[in-house]
Amino acid sequence: MLAVRDLKVRYGAVEAVRGLDLSLARGQLLALLGANGAGKTSTLAAIAGLVPAAGRIEIAGETAGGLPPETLARRGVALVPEGRRLFAGLTVAENLTLGGAVHTPPAERRRRVAAMEERFPVLAERRHQKAGLLSGGEQQMLALARALMAGPRLLLLDEPSLGLAPQMVERVFDIVAGLKAEGLTILLVEQNVPMSLAIADQAVVLANGRAALSGPAAEVAASDHVRRAYLAA
Amino acid sequence: MDRYCRRAGALALAVTAATATGALAQDYVIGVAVANSGGLAPFSQPAYDGFKFCVDEMNASGGIAGKHPIRLEVRDTRSEISEAVKFAQEFVDIGVNFIVAPPDGDPTMAMGQITSPAQIPTMTFAGTAPILTSVGEYVFGSYPADNQQAAVLGAYAAELGYKTAFLLKSPDAAYTQFGPAYFGTVFEANGGQVVGEASFTMNQPDFSAIVTTIQALNPPPDVIMTSAWEPDFPAFIKALRGAGVTIPVMGADVLDTPTVRGLGEVVEGVVHTSGGYPDPGSAHAEFNARFEAATGKVADTNYVVNGCDILGMIDAAVQAAGTTDAAAVGQALAALPETEGIMSSYTFAGTDRMPMRSVVLARIEGGEKVIIRREMADPATMPAP
Amino acid sequence: MDLILQQMVNAVSLGGIYALLALGLAVVFSIVRLINFAHGEVMTVAGYGIWIALASAWPVAAAVALGLAVAILAAVSMERVAFRAMRGADVTTLLITSFAVSEIIKVLFQNGISARPVPVVLPAWMSGTLDLGPVRIGVIALISILTVALSLVLLSVFLRRTVMGLAMRAAAEDFPVVRLMGLRANHVIALAFAVSGILAGVAAVLWVAQRGSVDPLMGAAPVLKAFIATVLGGLGSLTGAVIGGFVVGAVEVCLQGFLPQSLLPYREAISLALIIAVLVWRPDGLWPAEQTSRS
Ligand SMILES: Nc1ncnc2c1ncn2[C@@H]1O[C@H](COP(=O)(O)OP(=O)(O)OP(=O)(O)O)[C@@H](O)[C@H]1O
Ligand SMILES: [Mg+2]
Repeated sequence: MLAVRDLKVRYGAVEAVRGLDLSLARGQLLALLGANGAGKTSTLAAIAGLVPAAGRIEIAGETAGGLPPETLARRGVALVPEGRRLFAGLTVAENLTLGGAVHTPPAERRRRVAAMEERFPVLAERRHQKAGLLSGGEQQMLALARALMAGPRLLLLDEPSLGLAPQMVERVFDIVAGLKAEGLTILLVEQNVPMSLAIADQAVVLANGRAALSGPAAEVAASDHVRRAYLAA
Repeated sequence: MDRYCRRAGALALAVTAATATGALAQDYVIGVAVANSGGLAPFSQPAYDGFKFCVDEMNASGGIAGKHPIRLEVRDTRSEISEAVKFAQEFVDIGVNFIVAPPDGDPTMAMGQITSPAQIPTMTFAGTAPILTSVGEYVFGSYPADNQQAAVLGAYAAELGYKTAFLLKSPDAAYTQFGPAYFGTVFEANGGQVVGEASFTMNQPDFSAIVTTIQALNPPPDVIMTSAWEPDFPAFIKALRGAGVTIPVMGADVLDTPTVRGLGEVVEGVVHTSGGYPDPGSAHAEFNARFEAATGKVADTNYVVNGCDILGMIDAAVQAAGTTDAAAVGQALAALPETEGIMSSYTFAGTDRMPMRSVVLARIEGGEKVIIRREMADPATMPAP
Repeated sequence: MDLILQQMVNAVSLGGIYALLALGLAVVFSIVRLINFAHGEVMTVAGYGIWIALASAWPVAAAVALGLAVAILAAVSMERVAFRAMRGADVTTLLITSFAVSEIIKVLFQNGISARPVPVVLPAWMSGTLDLGPVRIGVIALISILTVALSLVLLSVFLRRTVMGLAMRAAAEDFPVVRLMGLRANHVIALAFAVSGILAGVAAVLWVAQRGSVDPLMGAAPVLKAFIATVLGGLGSLTGAVIGGFVVGAVEVCLQGFLPQSLLPYREAISLALIIAVLVWRPDGLWPAEQTSRS
């Protein structure tokens, strides 16, 4: 589904990603782990077309590098950005509608909004509330729902559990696991290493813009490096 | 490369020197400060068109005084006074023989402060504020001055039986501020009374508040007088008539444009002064026809013919002086006795360099300018500048 | 009392036009951070469109339609030709670009048509008056007020009920994320310019109807006021722009109507001083762009 070869992202003098390879098969979940500033967000931004990058990016066998984000979105890439980036001044329903903007018949958008509200009942209750006034957990539900509105083939999640209460974190991982179970291909960036490795098929640990470690999730979890650094074992 | 540059440079120098000495030998150089854009463009463009047309005609028959080909140094001030000042200095540096300044008192005065001490006669394209000649001995008007126009219009208003008047002024130009004031002075000297005033800003977006002020006057004034021009006058009269106010309106020579006459019903009956009227068979009418045939443009305002008259004034002064020397021509111009013009005759002798010319009273009827009469202001009743 | 009522009508009528122009500026600014000083020239273009149509004896409705059409065209092509190449440049660069565009268009009209105003004559019934209680209101002023009200309602419906309307509001908050939703940046921006164009077109129709002539500088003065209105309301805030427009109109009319004669020449200075005072009191404007978030 996704193949990344020798990806490089730089911001002026800062080299955020320095030659990264990733591959993710259809229906699989890849966890992208690493310390702050390792280049995780930059990797997702490059795949979603938000920042220019060198290297090859292929999505479903087609070259995707260099395409603008709107084109990638139409090809089935959806990103739930770091910090959620909801449209705070728009209502919950309006955020959802925009998430489904690629579907031109309005009836189809309405059907999808209804489906999302069924899946996340809290959104139905808050339908006419401004997104900026939701609680952190509610906002994360909305951010996920907004991304799912497009009916993506590849879902990019950037720290969906960030800043949430433990209960909420579990709920988020349940949802992500559920989406994987439904067959969605997912690239998950997380700081919560144990829970990520528990639901991931593959994992990559990024350090200074390079893959320090990669392989099946279980192998990565068993590695000394990860155990020492992240699993407090 | 380097050699090529040097050779090209030398060539350019030689050409410049040739034209410069050529100019000294015989050309009569007139520095012309036009306003191709900005607020004065509506007046500058037609004035320059008429001027240029007659310069070409005159050059075809030998040039000024029949023997000095005229060369124009034209600069665009874009209606900016600062630009006018810059060009005044440039004209002085070039050493032009004569200068024509933009068609408004303010830039003309600004230029005159530089050119008059250099003793280069400087004439405004159409500025009519009589104070404009006060900045120096070599500054000249060309069109009948505001106080001449006011003397005629104020007396006419009283003659129509108007007892009270409302004045609409703008401090943004001497013309729009003092024109109505002169009118008021003459109107009161003839037994009328000024009962109110309002002040507007040029290019003011909206006149409804002023109209409401006028509507609130009780009793309403008999006449409203303004020296507003385009686009303020159209906006004002539209707002006034749009609010149902039918008080007669009088204005100054700036209303002599097809734009104002083209406003339709709202300008019906507006009375204004003007510098001339192309009576059938007159030199003015003949000029207009010649101008249109040659340029394809309609001489639809008097600024065109006045542009040509300006050249006539320069020509008359050069002939009277018997030399092209700038200072001598300036002195001859200031002493010019009554001389035949195309729009009307002009007299500089005995004035403070604002020529005495007849004033036309006109009324707009059915989109046409209809002449009421032609009259020379009586210097005794003219308000002092 | 009648006088005050009458001046209030004047203020609403003038403020409404400023509000439309200010909205156009705000719609564009909120999305591309461009203060489009050439917005006035969009208005001027529309004015000439109306003039040409009426001079060719088109019916008024067709002339209005042409005016709106050329306004949209002018605004969208400005974006395409001048501003797209500068996308992402800083605010100052964009501002200077818009000044340049504004100057170029003015000069084109001055040299291509005429520096002088051209008269625009509307049918006689439009210059009549109606007596509504103690207030006498011009037909054009009334049409103007109703048109502004209708335009504001329609714009509000568009921004709330259509995907592109939502996209424009969203783009004002976070443009990259709008693109992540699959909406083309060029479309959203072009649409913002089109909306600003149609607002300027409506303003031009009302302006020309009230003033009776079109000249190359026609749009400059009202857009300057509209710019003041957007700053007063809060740069980038649409509601703020509307409020600012009405406030600027009201201040202008009140000062003109009620200042003593001796102070009248200073009213522009007084009105700017008042507006600066408001900005000192509320630096972000009367109704800043929303910062809806729980911190
Ligand atoms: N827009 C930017 N301009 C300049 N430098 C940037 C920019 N965005 C990120 N960086 C730098 O690039 C590096 C990688 O940042 P990135 O956001 O990709 O890391 P991350 O792994 O997502 O970190 P975190 O876990 O803190 O979210 C960092 O050093 C960061 O400072
Ligand atoms: Mg990150």
